[in-house]
Amino acid sequence: MNKLSNLLFAILMMASLQSFGQRKVEIRFEVDGVCGMCETRIEKALLETPGVWAAEWDVESHEVFVVYKPKKVSEMDLHRAVAAVGHDTQKVKAKSDDYDALNGCCKYKDEDVVNNHK
Amino acid sequence: MGQADTNLYQSVDLKDIEVRAEAAATFISAKSATFVNTISKKELKKAACCNLSESFETNPSIDVSFTDAVTGTKQIMLFGLAGKYAHIQTELTPLVRGLLSNSGLSFIPGAWIESIQLTKGIGSALNGHESITGQINVELLKPDEMANDALGPDAEGRGDILLNSYVNQGGRMEGNIAMGTNLNDQWSVGMLGHLSGRNIANDRNQDGFMDMPLGNQANVMLRAKYWGTNGLEGLFTLHGLTDEKRGGQGGSLFDSSPINQPWSNAINQDRLAFTAKTGWVSPNHNDLSIGVINHWYSQGLNGHFGSDADLLNKRTFNHTQQGGLTQVLVRAEVLEGQLYQTSGMVFNIDAYDMNQGRNGQGEYSGSWTETNLGAYSEWTYTPLESFTAVGGLRLDQHSIAGLQWSPRMHLRYAPTKLQTIRLSAGRGFRMALPMVESLGRLASNRNLTYAAYGNLMGGDMTTFESAWNAGASYVYNFTYEYMPGSIAADAHWTVFDHAIVHDYWMPGQHMVYQESTYNGSPAKQSNSLGVTLNYKLNKSTDMRLAYRNQITEAKYMDNPSGETMAQLPFVAKHRGMASLSKAIKGGWELDAAAQFYGPQSLPFGGWGAPTAFGSEQSPAFTLLSGQVRKAWKGGDIYLGIENALDVRQPNPISGAKDLAGNVLAADHADFTSSFDAIRIYGPIFGRNLYMGLNLIF
Repeated sequence: MNKLSNLLFAILMMASLQSFGQRKVEIRFEVDGVCGMCETRIEKALLETPGVWAAEWDVESHEVFVVYKPKKVSEMDLHRAVAAVGHDTQKVKAKSDDYDALNGCCKYKDEDVVNNHK
Repeated sequence: MGQADTNLYQSVDLKDIEVRAEAAATFISAKSATFVNTISKKELKKAACCNLSESFETNPSIDVSFTDAVTGTKQIMLFGLAGKYAHIQTELTPLVRGLLSNSGLSFIPGAWIESIQLTKGIGSALNGHESITGQINVELLKPDEMANDALGPDAEGRGDILLNSYVNQGGRMEGNIAMGTNLNDQWSVGMLGHLSGRNIANDRNQDGFMDMPLGNQANVMLRAKYWGTNGLEGLFTLHGLTDEKRGGQGGSLFDSSPINQPWSNAINQDRLAFTAKTGWVSPNHNDLSIGVINHWYSQGLNGHFGSDADLLNKRTFNHTQQGGLTQVLVRAEVLEGQLYQTSGMVFNIDAYDMNQGRNGQGEYSGSWTETNLGAYSEWTYTPLESFTAVGGLRLDQHSIAGLQWSPRMHLRYAPTKLQTIRLSAGRGFRMALPMVESLGRLASNRNLTYAAYGNLMGGDMTTFESAWNAGASYVYNFTYEYMPGSIAADAHWTVFDHAIVHDYWMPGQHMVYQESTYNGSPAKQSNSLGVTLNYKLNKSTDMRLAYRNQITEAKYMDNPSGETMAQLPFVAKHRGMASLSKAIKGGWELDAAAQFYGPQSLPFGGWGAPTAFGSEQSPAFTLLSGQVRKAWKGGDIYLGIENALDVRQPNPISGAKDLAGNVLAADHADFTSSFDAIRIYGPIFGRNLYMGLNLIF
């Protein structure tokens, strides 16, 4: 019984470890946003994109740091994924519908909102 | 940050709570001088069920022992030593103590818990003299948290009523409610409620004994919190509970030839307590604050072990306890940003009335009152970001133990941002209630004797226990493949000057006596070494691997030649744990864990001639568990399995059956001469499926 449990566990570990092997690429680009809620939204959109390994957005510099596997996802896909949740990037602007859907405090194009976060 | 922050003022500092909600499931604060492991609600959700003892099942430092068939309560162990040596508190007040020390953990429902702070090694001088191996403080949900948004990571600011319901294959059913409302800007009120029971008997191993006791529990807490603009804060709690358990031979439930007077046991417990915690933070000096804790309780424990058909071996007990404490803490900064101190005084009182009977007559009865007046001071010095020293001293004038001193020292040094080294040392003492703390051990026809010094029920120096603890730990945080991880290693030594020893090594005997250190040989000791690796395998998968080596020994009377240090029974020298947690899109979460238990030393099972100490060992075994959870905005539902491979201890109860496998009656000669239900090293019931539901309104 012990052997069986050890085996099951080994299989679980292997399944999680196999993705280590693939080549990963780092990239940084600008994404507009103002607050912690924006950060959560931007990072979630990226992390939920298949092929993205890690994502971190910095509220001060507006820069997002992404690690991804180029075999699975392209750089433009990353920009599109962020724009789709309402945030403009260097290469893709968000549709106005998606921007309008943002929470009031996240309206990064509104000067009052931006000033409130300073 | 010293222990003062994690304690008194944590409950009134909302910012702390918000930080914790976003933190990892378990984390070790890099800034704290003590080795504090905070277990958040997120981690608690990975454990199957239901109350505080089970909350530790995913924690590699703490062993959750296997419940005996009789009391049905799981005990915890830290460093291979019983949970009673870890100072367990709920919001800095005692609950798992005195008459409730045996089952108090089951009186803190998991659904009520906001977070747990587990300190490995000696605790702070501020919180009491009873901390020896560590300190466990449980924070429960506060009224304002319940009214606002802290009902769970998934609550997203909605709802002020949490309903939880749980059911398992063993027949346990449970319902919990947590609700709160803000009355105005200053006051919020809340209620925590719990009803649980098991009314279906199970006997999977067909030995005539129920695998788990039947029983019911009702448990209610009413809370009010005041948050003034003038720096005044207050938290007021009224707690009431009643719990009954019935175990033993099922009689006609299983058997076609019913046993008329089955061996049975009943344990009834109740408690009524009131707590008022008030605090004042100077509006002018944020670094000056005063806290006052008042806590008063009345609790009872009664029941029996045995059969009316064999009165000679039947024990009854009926105990009550009234007591309380008043504590004052003053915290002030001495040197800005570098040195602050917390000092204060505490008065404790406990009045016990204890009655134990055997063979239909009184075996022991006594009442006594213990008082303690303690004064303490703790100084925290942080000259550099990378270094903290905490020195504390407490003096206690105890009505039985006399003047006792408990020095406590914690050092923290962070040579780099990613590494932390900690050292700790200190002394603690406590007054034991040996028969209450080992209640389940009465489920045996062993001849109970109190060797050498009278009765050992409590109330005099024969139940005094004191020990020194020293510890060292190292934490290294790293990033590999862009993912965070940490390695934590710790070593702890506990050496008892005086200790209560339960000795099961002589055939047919259960001897209780106090051992003391002399000739350099300690009364009891534990050496423990643990290593834990946490690593995020990828964006959705967390992994934990842990190993602990613990050698715990006590000095046993080894008639007639003198005394021998031998490994404590029921403690696995090697413990391992591995767990994986995976989040999947759409609110799904998968958890899987494996727990390895190395061989445990067992007391002699038979009534034959004794063999050498520790020569009888339990087999090693591994338990697997898993859980699937699906969360949505209004709550979550979970389905899980404990002990998936159905590992079970064969023949856990000696004397229950004859050689042909027939269940014996409690007055059968073979039963009366060999009945023993204390040799429990593994699961009795086996595989257990469960399901639960949380709803937020």
